[in-house]
Amino acid sequence: MPDGAMPVLDVRNLRTVFRTRSGEVHAVNDVSFDLRPGELLGVVGESGSGKSVTMMSLIGLLPSPPAEVRSGQALLDGRDLLGMTPEELRKVRGARVGFIFQDPMTSLNPVFTVGFQLTEPLRTHMGMTRPEARRRAAELLELVGISDAERRLDDYPHQFSGGMRQRVMIAMALACDPEVLIADEPTTALDVTIQAQILELVKELRHKLGMAIVWITHDLGVIAGIADRVMVMYAGQVVEQAPVKELFTNPQHPYTRALLQTVPSVRGRRVEKLRVIRGQPPVLGAPPAACPFRPRCDHALARCARENPQRIALGSGHDVACFWDPATGEERHA
Amino acid sequence: MLDAAAPPKKIVEVRDLKMHFPIHAGVFRRRVGEVKAVDGVSFDIHEGETLGLVGESGCGKSTCGRAILRLYDITEGSVVIDGREIGHIPQKELRPLRPRMQMVFQDPQASLDPRMTVAAIIGEPLVEHTGLSRDARLERIYELMDAVGLNRNFANRYPHEFSGGQRQRIGIARALALNPKFIVCDEPIAALDVSIQAQVVNLLEDLQKRLGLTYLFISHDLSMVRHIASRVAVMYLGKVVELAPRDDLYETPLHPYTQALLSAVPDPDPASAEKVKRIILQGDVPSPANPPKGCNFCTRCPRVMPVCHHEEPAFTEVAPGRFVACHLHDGTKIPEAPAAAAADQQGDAT
Ligand SMILES: Nc1ncnc2c1ncn2[C@@H]1O[C@H](COP(=O)(O)OP(=O)(O)OP(=O)(O)O)[C@@H](O)[C@H]1O
Ligand SMILES: Nc1ncnc2c1ncn2[C@@H]1O[C@H](COP(=O)(O)OP(=O)(O)OP(=O)(O)O)[C@@H](O)[C@H]1O
Ligand SMILES: [Mg+2]
Ligand SMILES: [Mg+2]
Repeated sequence: MPDGAMPVLDVRNLRTVFRTRSGEVHAVNDVSFDLRPGELLGVVGESGSGKSVTMMSLIGLLPSPPAEVRSGQALLDGRDLLGMTPEELRKVRGARVGFIFQDPMTSLNPVFTVGFQLTEPLRTHMGMTRPEARRRAAELLELVGISDAERRLDDYPHQFSGGMRQRVMIAMALACDPEVLIADEPTTALDVTIQAQILELVKELRHKLGMAIVWITHDLGVIAGIADRVMVMYAGQVVEQAPVKELFTNPQHPYTRALLQTVPSVRGRRVEKLRVIRGQPPVLGAPPAACPFRPRCDHALARCARENPQRIALGSGHDVACFWDPATGEERHA
Repeated sequence: MLDAAAPPKKIVEVRDLKMHFPIHAGVFRRRVGEVKAVDGVSFDIHEGETLGLVGESGCGKSTCGRAILRLYDITEGSVVIDGREIGHIPQKELRPLRPRMQMVFQDPQASLDPRMTVAAIIGEPLVEHTGLSRDARLERIYELMDAVGLNRNFANRYPHEFSGGQRQRIGIARALALNPKFIVCDEPIAALDVSIQAQVVNLLEDLQKRLGLTYLFISHDLSMVRHIASRVAVMYLGKVVELAPRDDLYETPLHPYTQALLSAVPDPDPASAEKVKRIILQGDVPSPANPPKGCNFCTRCPRVMPVCHHEEPAFTEVAPGRFVACHLHDGTKIPEAPAAAAADQQGDAT
């Protein structure tokens, strides 16, 4: 670890499989990553690449069956989450790991007031009295920029706008002062001007509260603006990982490189023709025996059809799972 | 690029278009108000160009696109397509005109009948509007599948057997079946993955060049619109607040809403992400059932003035081809543009 700090979360060799009627889906294949105190780790990848399943596997949020965590270890401050009982995991979710979901309406209950939903975990997990919890809940709403917080505790979710509901979600995730916050596409459903409000808020809160954050998104623009480090997923694997500036200036994996070229920008030079990544991402019925990106890759080598490349460290916290070396255009020498 | 001698032909001319939906309430379903989804919109679309229509959720983009194609009976205004006024003619008279104007929808999943094969879906408009024989129809279906890059062997498959990008191709093939001139593309890439979006956008551009198509491209993705559109209209709460040639709009936006909108788009580049000065708008978009008095944007505008609260700004041409509805530009003929941009415009005009 370059900066020497102990990770708050250390995930090793995670494998998660869904057993469906039409066979197995290997959603997460040997994923390893860590999260350091106070850091914001961005996770990008296209639909179905395993971003959500990876994070949900860690805190026992997947329905089982059909989900099955086949192997791996996930140490939260040294204790393995994957070996915990459902009861222990519930406590972890309530108090130490906060979660924000993509669609606020799926996790806000429409029949309870926002105040009730905010105070409930404070009372059960932090042992607060009703008035204490209510005071804290109002504080949390204020923290996420909802004015007239005290009064709005008595409102129901549908009385808030989309952007405000997402703020309420953030407040709920922050309620018990978690060490780790996992945010799964928290702004994807929002308009850009509302997204900008939420991103500002997160930047501000990070400094105030100092927690470590995992931020899942498919928007490279969002990642560029807020992440310290980025992990790129493809077909249930981590194909590249690097500090944010390094990833954008010196991408190594052909998938990352192509992805950066297919997204246009509103600023800077306008490209005449968009670069295309041909084909489709695969659905994996078995753990990949070859590189899963090979059918779409412009640089595939003979070796890529025989072996699935392992992640190799390139120094300065950058690693990539690929045999091809963009510097030489040939096979990478270890 | 613009040829001063021969002004571009107008395929679509929209004037003061209004689409209001009634709100009913109570036991007797009495009409208690209306949603002003589109509230006085005017623009032209030139032959062979792509007009981008951008704005946030609920501002009326889809309603505008659908109203232009007369999928609604419009409340007010005029729509001229290819020289013919269609704003208020009955649906019966519209039928023979339908082949010329088509629509591609946002959600390829929802807009394709799951019980029909791909061939049947693409062939449906041919059955309805042409007298082609079975064989001739199949030939045309294959031609269309080739044009959008779908394998002919998949003609007898069903939509669920295709990926999102492929389903969008099916929708595009169907829209092309009757040789339309004008296509409204309503968020055609919003449901697709980043790596697939470029495939569909490039296909639309290709087809435009080959077939001389004219597009209204509706999207909330400002970076993709910058890529595909030649001119761009920005909507806010039922009105077009700014309309300009693409490069002008992205380089020197005039309306405070356009400025905020563009500044809010995250940049896929950490170096420039640090440099951009973001304008963070406060609050949310007001309801189109109860828009503010004066300028629609006055409740969130960072540069709001007293006049904005009681007087609606007119949509005026402040420079050749540049329209804006904002009191900051009252009395402006030529906007204060950097010297280079002004020189460019002159260059264009000659
Ligand atoms: N309940 C389930 N049963 C079967 N397969 C599932 C289930 N949930 C997820 N999967 C599969 O697991 C894989 C990874 O899904 P995941 O939701 O992690 O993707 P993601 O990267 O989060 O994508 P998105 O960007 O669309 O949210 C996909 O192939 C998906 O189809
Ligand atoms: N059939 C209808 N009846 C009543 N109100 C409607 C109807 N269709 C749309 N609206 C309302 O009109 C307004 C504009 O809707 P529209 O779908 O045109 O927005 P949009 O700009 O396309 O948004 P999005 O980006 O979310 O697709 C919204 O407030 C919407 O709720
Ligand atoms: Mg997901
Ligand atoms: Mg719409």
